[in-house]
Amino acid sequence: MSKQYETVIGLEVHVELATKTKIFCSCSTAFGGAPNTHTCPVCTGMPGSLPVLNKQVVEYAMAVGLATNCKIHQYSKFDRKNYFYPDNPQNYQISQLYLPICYEGGVEIDTPAGKKVVRIHEIHMEEDAGKLIHDEWEDCSLVDYNRSGVPLIEIVSEPDMRSADEVIAYLDKLRLIIQYLGASDCKLQEGSMRADVNLSVREAGAEKFGTRTEMKNLNSFKAIARAIEGERARQIELLEEGKQVIQETRRWDDNKEYSYAMRSKEDAQDYRYFPDPDLVPVIISDEWIAKIKARQPELRTEKLERYKKEFDIPDYDAQIITGSKTLADLFEETTAICRKPKKAANWILGETLRLLKEKELEPEEIRFSAENLAKLIELVDAGTINSSVAKDVFAVIFEEDADPERYVEEKGLKMVNDEGALQSVIEEIVAANPQSVADYKGGKQKAMGFLVGQTMKAMKGKADPAAVNRILKEILSR
Amino acid sequence: MDLLGMTAVELGRKIKAKEVSATEAVQASLGQIKALEETLNCYVTVDEEGALEQAARIQKKIEDGTLSGPLAGVPVAIKDNMCTEGLLTTCSSKILYNFKPTYTAEAVKNLQKAGAVILGKTNMDEFAMGSTTETSAFGVTKNPWGTEHVPGGSSGGSCAAVAAEECFYALGSDTGGSIRQPSSFCGVTGIKPTYGTVSRYGLIAYGSSLDQIGPVAKDVTDCAAVLEAITSYDKKDSTSVLRKDTDFTAALVDDVKGMRIGIPRDYLGEGLDPEVEAAIRKAAGILKDKGAKVEEFDLSLVEYAIPAYYVIASAEASSNLARFDGIKYGYRTEEYDGLHNMYKKSRSEGFGPEVKRRIMLGSFVLSSGYYDAYYLKALRTKALIKQAFDRAFEKYDVILGPASPSTAPRLGSSLEDPLKMYLGDIYTISVNLAGLPGMTVPCGLDSQGLPIGVQLIGDCFKEKNIIRAGYAFEQARGAWKAPELTERAKKGAN
Amino acid sequence: MANVISDETIEYVGILAKLELSAKEKEQAKKDMGSMLDYIDKLNELDTSGVEPMSHVFPVNNVFREDVVENGDDRENLLKNAPEQKDGSYKVPKTVE
Repeated sequence: MSKQYETVIGLEVHVELATKTKIFCSCSTAFGGAPNTHTCPVCTGMPGSLPVLNKQVVEYAMAVGLATNCKIHQYSKFDRKNYFYPDNPQNYQISQLYLPICYEGGVEIDTPAGKKVVRIHEIHMEEDAGKLIHDEWEDCSLVDYNRSGVPLIEIVSEPDMRSADEVIAYLDKLRLIIQYLGASDCKLQEGSMRADVNLSVREAGAEKFGTRTEMKNLNSFKAIARAIEGERARQIELLEEGKQVIQETRRWDDNKEYSYAMRSKEDAQDYRYFPDPDLVPVIISDEWIAKIKARQPELRTEKLERYKKEFDIPDYDAQIITGSKTLADLFEETTAICRKPKKAANWILGETLRLLKEKELEPEEIRFSAENLAKLIELVDAGTINSSVAKDVFAVIFEEDADPERYVEEKGLKMVNDEGALQSVIEEIVAANPQSVADYKGGKQKAMGFLVGQTMKAMKGKADPAAVNRILKEILSR
Repeated sequence: MDLLGMTAVELGRKIKAKEVSATEAVQASLGQIKALEETLNCYVTVDEEGALEQAARIQKKIEDGTLSGPLAGVPVAIKDNMCTEGLLTTCSSKILYNFKPTYTAEAVKNLQKAGAVILGKTNMDEFAMGSTTETSAFGVTKNPWGTEHVPGGSSGGSCAAVAAEECFYALGSDTGGSIRQPSSFCGVTGIKPTYGTVSRYGLIAYGSSLDQIGPVAKDVTDCAAVLEAITSYDKKDSTSVLRKDTDFTAALVDDVKGMRIGIPRDYLGEGLDPEVEAAIRKAAGILKDKGAKVEEFDLSLVEYAIPAYYVIASAEASSNLARFDGIKYGYRTEEYDGLHNMYKKSRSEGFGPEVKRRIMLGSFVLSSGYYDAYYLKALRTKALIKQAFDRAFEKYDVILGPASPSTAPRLGSSLEDPLKMYLGDIYTISVNLAGLPGMTVPCGLDSQGLPIGVQLIGDCFKEKNIIRAGYAFEQARGAWKAPELTERAKKGAN
Repeated sequence: MANVISDETIEYVGILAKLELSAKEKEQAKKDMGSMLDYIDKLNELDTSGVEPMSHVFPVNNVFREDVVENGDDRENLLKNAPEQKDGSYKVPKTVE
């Protein structure tokens, strides 16, 4: 490759909103129901049915818009996007083209070259499609409309990103903001956050953008990074060969690490948008905007400031904890119960993150409650269990949200504070290991560690290590 | 007792007075249906068993006093584009040949609450696209006043059924004149209410921004009573309007003194059948004699209503009818090769020519590069037409004119030239574009013995003005008369 | 006739509208659409500059629903109308992914 190329990337990010009901009907948005059990005449496109807008969708969209520095269109409308596909029961999707609810915003991201703003072109509200499952036994597909009509916002950025790292930083930023707002859980794997990547390349220094392609089906940050690299390479290769990039939609296959054109003769991509006559305009007053603003929860920057003042935990720790809404919530709730912020932070930054990493989970997938973590902290603090037992108990809490008090009781894990009993166990250990005793007396400190270990083993870990050390030293010094 | 000849309100009174039972009324209607359906084909579905069962249930409620409204126990026919739970609802289209809705349209529900007995579903132009009821996939409906003639459309089945006394009243829907024009052709009274007055929930959409459900009956009194019953603010229809002045029967007053009535000069003259013009002028004269101030004026923009309408209605229809794809309900072709072929074959076999014509036109005017030139242009024209009416209603309480340029044409004469058929809607279409209420009242017969209707148009939310004018006119005109065919069928039964 | 509709246009609109017309229907459609568009072109006589497109006749706005689940499981009922179904789902020809 002789020339230098620059990658230009814009994103269309779809986020499923955390409403209880769908955007245009009062069906549940809950995950995991049997196929078509959360459907009604509206979200299955029955003749004669009509949509009615869920107010919460407008408020979430406004909240995200305000938190990403967007302006609000105070007169906003819904349009129909017409295309045929079985997951789209009306064969049109209700979306916003002409007057989207939010426009002209942006978020700041950190790049190796310093801070940078990724501009947001618009945010609009729309409905999600149903799910198509390919039948394993027959040559057919099955349609499930449970997701049909689940509210989405689509956040459309300007083509302001230049690398996969910037894309990931932008997505991370959006995810954090939206999670903090409680507007969505933003899980890429489950599809509650999805990103389509618009990418083009141009020679370094060129003013004009190259022809872009749109890539779909990107289900993880890793897939997004790989797809960007793959598509960049594909486009450069075309240009180097003197060929042209065709403006098209491509589907990324993360297993094959290659994208495929999604074109077909039957897919004209002419959506014939027009204002939906079944829905009326949304008019947003200054008062309504003020109300949403006042209701905005504390976002990350404010939270960081507060943690420093309120909890006296290291800046680095606060950064990591506030880097996830789930971790921050867990931290604050635990601290509220046990009033030990440093210990709560240690458990979160230590064992919690270690286990998440080990099990390849995201913080959002944490299943245990702050109550149980707080109880664990109390148990250690009160000397009821020692710290090594506490780690084992935490593993159980992490797995199944066990109540540590009951678990310690049931499994008999309380520290043995009976010094007489401990004394006799240690006497036995000393008597049974004359060589180690001799080694210790001969100056080998290591032998001491062996004897402590043997004692803890005999005590099934339930002894107070400080007491073991003290008694052992007393016996050995006789 | 000429049971069938009664108006809905008269029958309701007799039922309340225990002189007639709901079951007897249903049986009488079913008898007339049996006598005439073979000739007229007003219904797509007659629910004989269901109607008798409803009648028995309603009769009990009338007797125990839980139902006491003016329409309790009175049999009604519903246009086949309104959903009725468990009862076939086809829009007179092959594509919905077997569709049984899971819910009932709000307007029909309101009638059920008022104690109506549903006899069945009436024939119509396929998806309400047409002015003759000839585009139905289930055969043409004939005009009871002359079976060589069309009943008009698209609510031709509802209007013909009322004229044939195959029901006591009916519901129709009106997107560009579909209640008012067939009412005129069939010599019955019909109202298209102000947009948003009657819920569209459960009305299978043609042109969503224009569609309204309304009553078809023997006289103005019935229409007012039925409209009062079906009007409701419905949270399921976002375009529903919360109204306070819906006691329409209060406007049944024989007094038009000082009422300002305007006749658009643009509605008279060229293109209008002289016999129709004479009847309209005569009707205007009657109102004038009763003390109304009648004058002619220039409405303007009349010739732009039809092109604007066809752009808007076809565009909306192309999208509204996309859902008929052979997946969730209705017709699916027998053999196909893959998804898109299934879509195309099911739709091409399921829709008739007129529906396809409008879907094609609608898809085209919305397609890339044409949206501004056609669709937005039409919406701007609509705004101008609305302004023209706003100006007119500063001067007049009611606009009076014909409902159609001619009386009912002969069967088969309209479909050859669609454009010519579209032109027949010239006096009704602008009312839908401007969202206004309009009513047709029979005002005479032409030399062939075919009915002529006078159209009364009111300002938005001013149904009471047209009801009052219609009622006063009717008092002078005399009671409703049934066509020969209807009378003969009744005599045959006796 | 000012508007001449080409075979390509009819083909294209057929793809958009998912309608498959026979050769005869296509010829008729070209003619019908052409004459309708000629008629619609009449609108160009009108000066509409500065006129806002009117989609709704009345200034009704902000019609909302509260975010409360009201619908239960009506699957069995809704699926009754499906031409083909399987495992509680609507059965369709295989979609190519």
